Parts: sequence; C-alpha cells; structure tokens
Amino acid sequence: MSLASDHDIDLIYQKSLRKRKNMRRLWLAFLLLPPILMLLIFVFLPMASAVLYSVYDWKGLVRGEFIGLGNYYDVLFKPRESWFLFNAFKNNVVVFISLMIVQNGLALVLALLLARKPAGYRFYQVVIFLPVILSTVIIGFQWKLFLNPIFGLVNKFLRMVDLDMWALPWLGLPETALGSMILVNTWHWVGFPTLVFLAAIHRIPKDLIEAARLDGANEWRIARDIIWPLMAPAVTIIVVLTFIGSFNWFEIPFIMGSLEGSPAYSTDTLGLLFYRTAFGSVSAGGSNFGAGSALAVLIFIFIFTFSIIVTKYLTSREIEMG
Amino acid sequence: MKINKLLMGAVISAGVFSGGIASATDLNFWSWRQEDIKAYEEIIAAFEETHPDIHVTYTAHEATNYNTILTTALAGGAGPDIIHTRSYGSLEQVAAAGYLEPLNDQVDLSTLSADELLGTTLRADGKVYAVPFASQTVLLYVNKDLFDANKVAIPTTWNEFIAASEALKAAGVTPLANGSAAGWTMEIMSGAFMPNFYGKEFFGDVTSGKTDFEDARFVEALEKFSVVKDYMPDGFEGVDYATMQQLFIAGQAAMFVGGSWELPGFTKAGINFDIMPVPSAAGSGMVATFLDGGYGVNAASENKEAALEFIRFTATQPFAQMLTDKLGNVAAVDGAVSSDPMLKKVAGFHNNATPYIMLVAFRFDTPTGSTLLQNGLQELFTGKKTAAEVAKDISDGIKAAE
Amino acid sequence: MAHIQINNLHKQFGDVKVIRDVNLTIDDNEFVVFVGPSGCGKSTLLRLISGLEDLSSGHIKIDGERIDHLPPSKRGIAMVFQSYALYPHMSVYQNMSYALRVAKESKASIDKKVKQAAEVLQLTELLDRKPKALSGGQRQRVAIGRAIVRDPKLFLFDEPLSNLDAKLRVQMRIELTKLHKKLNATMIYVTHDQVEAMTMADKIVVIRDGIIEQVGAPLELYNHPANQFVAGFIGSPSMNFIDVKVIGKSDASLELELKNKTNIHIPCAEVDLHAIGDKMQIGIRPEKLILDEACDAMQDGEVFAVERLGNETYIYMHTATNNEIVLHAAGDKPVTEGDHISVGFKVADCHLFASNGEVVK
Repeated sequence: MSLASDHDIDLIYQKSLRKRKNMRRLWLAFLLLPPILMLLIFVFLPMASAVLYSVYDWKGLVRGEFIGLGNYYDVLFKPRESWFLFNAFKNNVVVFISLMIVQNGLALVLALLLARKPAGYRFYQVVIFLPVILSTVIIGFQWKLFLNPIFGLVNKFLRMVDLDMWALPWLGLPETALGSMILVNTWHWVGFPTLVFLAAIHRIPKDLIEAARLDGANEWRIARDIIWPLMAPAVTIIVVLTFIGSFNWFEIPFIMGSLEGSPAYSTDTLGLLFYRTAFGSVSAGGSNFGAGSALAVLIFIFIFTFSIIVTKYLTSREIEMG
Repeated sequence: MKINKLLMGAVISAGVFSGGIASATDLNFWSWRQEDIKAYEEIIAAFEETHPDIHVTYTAHEATNYNTILTTALAGGAGPDIIHTRSYGSLEQVAAAGYLEPLNDQVDLSTLSADELLGTTLRADGKVYAVPFASQTVLLYVNKDLFDANKVAIPTTWNEFIAASEALKAAGVTPLANGSAAGWTMEIMSGAFMPNFYGKEFFGDVTSGKTDFEDARFVEALEKFSVVKDYMPDGFEGVDYATMQQLFIAGQAAMFVGGSWELPGFTKAGINFDIMPVPSAAGSGMVATFLDGGYGVNAASENKEAALEFIRFTATQPFAQMLTDKLGNVAAVDGAVSSDPMLKKVAGFHNNATPYIMLVAFRFDTPTGSTLLQNGLQELFTGKKTAAEVAKDISDGIKAAE
Repeated sequence: MAHIQINNLHKQFGDVKVIRDVNLTIDDNEFVVFVGPSGCGKSTLLRLISGLEDLSSGHIKIDGERIDHLPPSKRGIAMVFQSYALYPHMSVYQNMSYALRVAKESKASIDKKVKQAAEVLQLTELLDRKPKALSGGQRQRVAIGRAIVRDPKLFLFDEPLSNLDAKLRVQMRIELTKLHKKLNATMIYVTHDQVEAMTMADKIVVIRDGIIEQVGAPLELYNHPANQFVAGFIGSPSMNFIDVKVIGKSDASLELELKNKTNIHIPCAEVDLHAIGDKMQIGIRPEKLILDEACDAMQDGEVFAVERLGNETYIYMHTATNNEIVLHAAGDKPVTEGDHISVGFKVADCHLFASNGEVVK
C-alpha cells in the first residue's frame, strides 16, 4: 500500500531540510550584506583613510611626506593648538554634563509625570516630542532669531514682563552663549529621552509600584527605589547617546555661533575645531588634512573608548525583570 | 512600472542633452556669488555671442563654505573648468596645490595694476593665477534722512563723529548698526576705523617686520576703536550681519560700517544714504581696500583652451564695464567708467586708501591674522580682554603662524 | 487580628458598575475567600479594601474605624499579588525588609523580623538571592514573607497560587492554611478556583457581576446554595440541572413533571408563590445520582464519555430529553461509551430552583 519506502522518505526529508537550510543562509546573507557593505564603505573606509591621512604632512590639499605621529604631536602639544583642543574639549564636557542634568533630568521628570497619565497626556507627549522631528538646521536658525537681542521674541518677552535686566544678547556674550545653545539643544531633543524613559516606565509591571505603595513608599520613594533602578537599561542608552551626541556636537554651535565658536571661542567644540582645522574657513585660513585627520582619530578614539567604558559600567547595574 | 518609466525618461533626456552638447565645448564656472547669478548669466550670454562654440554654465555655491566645496572637489578631480577664486591666502591655498593654471604668458594682464595683481599672485613663484575681478572698499554708510530728522550734521572729523553719535543716541536713535556677533563683521568694522588711528605707515612697517602688532600705534588704535561700542545697538554682542543690515535698512540705526558690496542692496532698499570714509581727527579719513578675487582656470581642465578664452575675456574693458554696470562692482580692469555716482565716489576714495590689513597680508598661514583679530575684537568689545592683551594675542599668534 | 465591616460599597469605572452595594462582615481571625467567575469584581473588591482603588461610595471599617479614606500603607494591611510583585533588583532580604526600611525601623529590629519570617517560611538559606534565582514556590513564599514582616492586621491574597503547577498548588494550599492558624490573622483570599475556596475558607463569599450572591461556610454553600448560580459554581463537576414544570400543588408540596413525563412530588414551604405551569429546575449533585436502582425519579440516556480514575468514575450522558448529566460514582463502574443506562435520584437529595434562580427547596 505504501507509495514510498522509509528510505525514500528519509532522502526526500533530508533534501528538503538541506534546501531549507540553504535558503535560510541565502536569506541571511541577503539581509546582512547591505548593512555590512554600508558599514565598510561609510565607516571603516573613512576611518582607515583618516588614520592614513593623519600620518602625512599636507600642503593644502597635496599629500606631503610621511611624518609619523607629527600631526598628533602638533594638535596635542603645540601651545596654541593644545589650547584650542583643551578649550573645545572643556566645552564638550560642559555640554555633556549640562545635557545630562538639564535635558535628561527634565526628560526624567516629564516621563514620571506623563507616566501618571494626567488629563491630556497624549497631547503633551506629542508636543514634547514634536521638536525632535524638526531638522537641527531649522531649529538652530529659528532660535537664533528668537534670541536676537533686538527683534527676538525672548528679549521682547523679557522686556514685556519688566525684566529688561535679563534682556541680554544671549548668543553674543561669552558667558551666556554656550548655555543658550545647550538650552536650545534641550528644547530640541528633550522629547527623545522623555519617550525612551516613558517606555521604560511603562514596561515596569504595575504590581511592583502598587506593592511599593502598600509597603508605604511615597511617590518620591517609588521613583527612587523602584522606577529608577528598573529603568536602568533606558538610562544606559540615553547616557551613551548623550555622551556621543555631546562630543560630536556640531550643528547647533555652527548655526547659532560660527565655525570659530563665536563669541571668542566660548562655543567652540571638538567638531568645529576639527572642521576648521581640516577644511579651513574664509577667515581661519587654509585646510590642513593632516592635523584635521589626527583630531578626528583622537576624537573617535576618545568617544569609542569612553562609550564602551560607560556602557560596560551602566550595563552591570541593569537587572533583568521577572 | 513607474520606476521603469522614470528611468526611461532619464535615459532619453540624457541622450538629448549629450547630443546637444557634442557640438559645443561645455565649460563649468563655479562661484560663491549666489546673488549675482542673473548678472553673470547675462555676461556669459554676451561672451557666447562672440564664441558660439563655447557654452558656459555658471554655478554659485554657498558663500561661507565655498572654499571647502571647491578644494574638496578639486582634490577629488571633479572641479569646474573656470574657477571664481578668492584672493590672497585663499587663492594661495588653491594655487600652491597646483590646481590653477599660471596665466602670465597666456593672458594679457596689462590692463591691471600691480596692487590688484598682488591679490592673485602666488608668493612662492611670483606667477599670476587669476584675473583680478573687483576691489572692495570698507567704508561708512550714513542715513541722510535720519541725520536730517534729528537735526544732526553729518560728521567730517572724529570729534564730530563722536558728537553726532552722542546726539543721535540722546534722540533715541542707534548711531551705529554694527554688532559683534559675527567675527568677520568686526574685522570689517576695524578696517573702517582703525587705519585712521594707526596711520598710513603701519601696514608697511608691520608687513616688512619693522614692527609687530604690539606696536603702540596698534594698541592705541584698538583702544580708540573700542569707544565705538557705546554707539552700537543695545545687545550688540548678539547682533549678527543680517540684523545689522535690517537695522540700517529699517531706519533704526543711522550709520553702518560695511563694504562697497552693500551698495546695490542699500540702493535697492530705497534708503537715502551717503558713503564716506570714517572721518579722522584731521578730517578726511582712509578707507581700507582689498581685491575680492579673480577668475582662474583649472589646471586639470579638459577644455583648458576654451576656458582660457573666457579668462582672456574677463581681462578686457567690455567685461569690466559689464561688471560695473550690472553688478555695481569697482572693476579691477582699467577703463570701465561708472555712471553710478556712488561707484564714482568709491573710486575716488581709493586716493586715500590703505590695504585691508589682515586679509591682504596675514591670511596665508594659520592662525590667520583675521582669526586672531576677529576673536580679539570680540574679546575686547565684550570686555573679556584689554586692548594691550588683545594686541599681544594677535602678535603672538602671527609670530607662531606657519 | 481585625474585624472588617463593609457597608453599601459601590465602585464604578466610568459608566461600568463593578461593585454594587456590597455589605459584608468579616470576623477576627477569619479566613475569607472571595470566589466568582473572572470579571465578577472579586479582585476589585480586594483592591478597594487595600486602598489601591478608590471606592465610589460606601464605608470600609477595620475594628470599627473607617479606613476607606486612608492611603494603602496606613490601613495596616499587607497584600500578596498574583504575580508576587517581587522587586527584581532587590535580594530576598531587601524585598522582605523594604516596608520596614521605608518605615525607618531600626536595623536590628528589621533584621530580627526578617530572620523570623524567613525561619517560618524556610527562606533563611535564600535571603541573599535575587528573585530571578528562585523557583515559583520560593517566590511565592518570599511574597508571603514580605507581607508577614509588616505584621499587618489583615492579609490580602490576590489569586496567589494561580501561577504554580498543580502539585505545588496543593502543597501551598496546606501551607497557607497552616500559616493562617499560626499567625492568627484575618485573611482575605481571592480566587476563581472553587477547590481552593472549599479547602481553605472559613467563610466563602460568592460574587457575581459585582453583587454578593451568598456568604457562608464551604459546606453550607455546598449543601444549601441560595440560588442556582451558587449551586452551579460550587462543586466540581457542577451540579446537574433538569427542567421541570409545575403540574400540581398540594398543601406542602409541588407536583412536578420531568420532560420524560415522570412525575415527582417535592416538599415546598410556600406553595402559594408558585403557579401551575411554572417552569423550574431541579438541581442534583453528580454524586447523588444513582445508577440502575429504583429511585424517586429515573432518567434514561446514552453515555457519551466515561472518565475512570480507579477509585471513582465520572459518567457523562445525554438523557432522552436532551439534558446533559454527569454522574459521579465511587469505585470502577462497568459502563462504556454508547451504553444506554438509566439513572435516578431521591427527592431528599435534590434542590429546586424557580425560574429566576432563587432556591425553592
């Protein structure tokens, strides 16, 4: 009665299994190839060429002789260059710390408030997130107008409420320029960490919060003892992204200040320093691919190393739920 | 389906275009002068009338990033045939790298003065790499209506300038529109004010190495110049280029320090203005001038001969006349006569002029004199540093430059 | 150690009335089980007592004092959640001591209480572990331990055993009963499992659609259900219901006709409430059905399933009048699928329900 022997069936089964496995491999290769190629072309290749460029002397755009670590020595130790590097680095550190406190702190507070679903929280959620989808160029330009000392809305408002003393040329004073840009960055980005934090809070089982409430914890204790430790994975992501973002900070100071970190280098960042060193500018003079590449490599090494350390450290304090 | 159709359309149109171009030499012409596109197209049309076998396409890039765009393209072998070059240090960067064709024996440069040619000459080999196109002049704009309305006389001496400024301020009018937010507008402003204080000889002395920027003349000039901040807008530290233009055009500020390139804009805005050098203690002051740039040929161009033909055209009087008429530029090439009274005035100021110091002499190495001066002025005007400290920074920076 | 009094309790979510006019008294040291089908409001009632949910109207008193306006932590209660709700980032010790730490008790006192509770629940070895490293039963005990250390007046359990496997569930049931005796505490326990209710409760509260259907001791509910719902809900397998019609009345009994035209007389106290022609249902527990023996009423039918457990047999049959009937017999019965059999019951064993579900007898 049987149409195929057991042996036949085994063969057919093995064949189809092989075919399925091959299909699977093909499919995987098909999915992986584009990102691997993209990574190669847009990450590793430029990285490799930056390293290569950085060990040569450049006369404008023409590659000169091999000078080993000469460019690195120049950007790190020559008095003027090292002052720039340190000044820009210091500003990046200020940006990182400020964004951690102001932007991410605000995001945490907003997320905790929104998580309690106050009336109209969906509307607030959209309002807070909306600036994130706008382009940095538009936001930088818009806020530059808002902060204009004469026509700007900010100072008009301050004068309206009789705070003339506070109607400062925000972007023109070395004391206030960087702070203003950090606040604009916060305005632009705060929705992103808020949303990430909110999602993390929503992932915490309601029972845990209720258990803590029954255990006598008030809102502050619940936030500190239960919610905060349990949203550690989200905090890790945000800290690392903020770190990378802060040390690659470019668009806002470029648009709202200048390539020279106007006024008087008070808003200079590693990104701006790299750009004008590598490519030059109308007033800052010619390009220096060698020194620029050396800066790029140093910035990359710094961000890469610290991101790994920060990720390792923060991941170690994460807890799997349930 | 849709994609196929699109592709087919693209292929067909590409075929049509390449077919059309095959008969003429196609030249690409890059510039940073976005505001001049129309005028250049007219000028090019005039050129093409006499050269039917050459077709020139003018492309204007974003001004502040033009050097970067250009040098990157040249390094990648994708540069244009005709290059609108900047002058002095910016020219040197492109020329020294060998991207420009030397013009000395290929173009008749007799219509140009030695001063102007200096802006497009490579210091290393003494060869000219571009035909200078226009000089710019840094000067003072005054809104005559505002002066009249507030019964203030237009100043003719430095003391009168101060008095007039005080009078305008008392009347509630911002005397000077300029701000310090953009470093380069500060450098422009210094070009208008400082030469009167440091004198005509200082440029020669400092470029020849007889003195440096810690010279008492320069420090004093910085100090005297910094007095002007009392007459700048409230919050001038945050006033950028666009804002100061707006203040002057809207009649909120009575004076404006800028370059001769502002003339067409202010004329078009319908302001009743006059131009003058910033008055000196004795009376007539100096203006600062510089060559704006030139026209060069890409040394790697495949259509070098056709490009040179266009460059030869730019060194002629008819071209200079068009530049004067259509763009309101003070053309570098001799023989152009301006019907515009303002342009005539500008040309007249050149009798008492000094080179725009940092651009002309100190933009060849890093740090450039411009960078040093711009940031020094921002520090001076925002009270972060004294004139002496700023002068020392500039001097040290120039000496460290390489 | 608390006496709980609930008066006229209402709870509404928007337009949905979840709890409707609940009145309930729970005595000191009682183990009370709230039971009912899912969505009946039993968990909501528990959460109203805990304070995790605000009531719409009514009173809740513990030992005579109103607590319904107090925050959860001030009510002197502890709750064990269905999910255990252990803090995943804290060790067992930290989980159990959290409430005491929040209350700022001294370290020594906290340590004593935690160690004591751990001893009772055999958790001493596990105090340093994180919840992730515990088995289901261990987590359950930690959750209970967390409640115990607070020394509450009232324990609340929200379906605490539903995540455990069958064997562990039986074991924990016994442990909880023992714990109740040891702690001498008042406990309220919510479940949908009537076996848990029957085995653990001093008092069962049957809830349906936010209304208490009946309150009583387990066997009282089993033997004297107040209505057809309780009769059907308590007991497993469920009580059998057979359609009947009133065809005659006498002084103290009703004459009823089954669909197979068998007539029976059932005593009834208030005959006047019922009229000839009324439809009613007789309820008879599976174990009260008798196989192949002469009784007060007989039903013929065809067996469609038999479950033999060795010591007992469940026989499922369709009667000739299309009712489904389950019979529970002790020992192994020689019946197989497709057999035609006859079952009967005694009038004394049957319940009678009016068409509105209220008990008649």
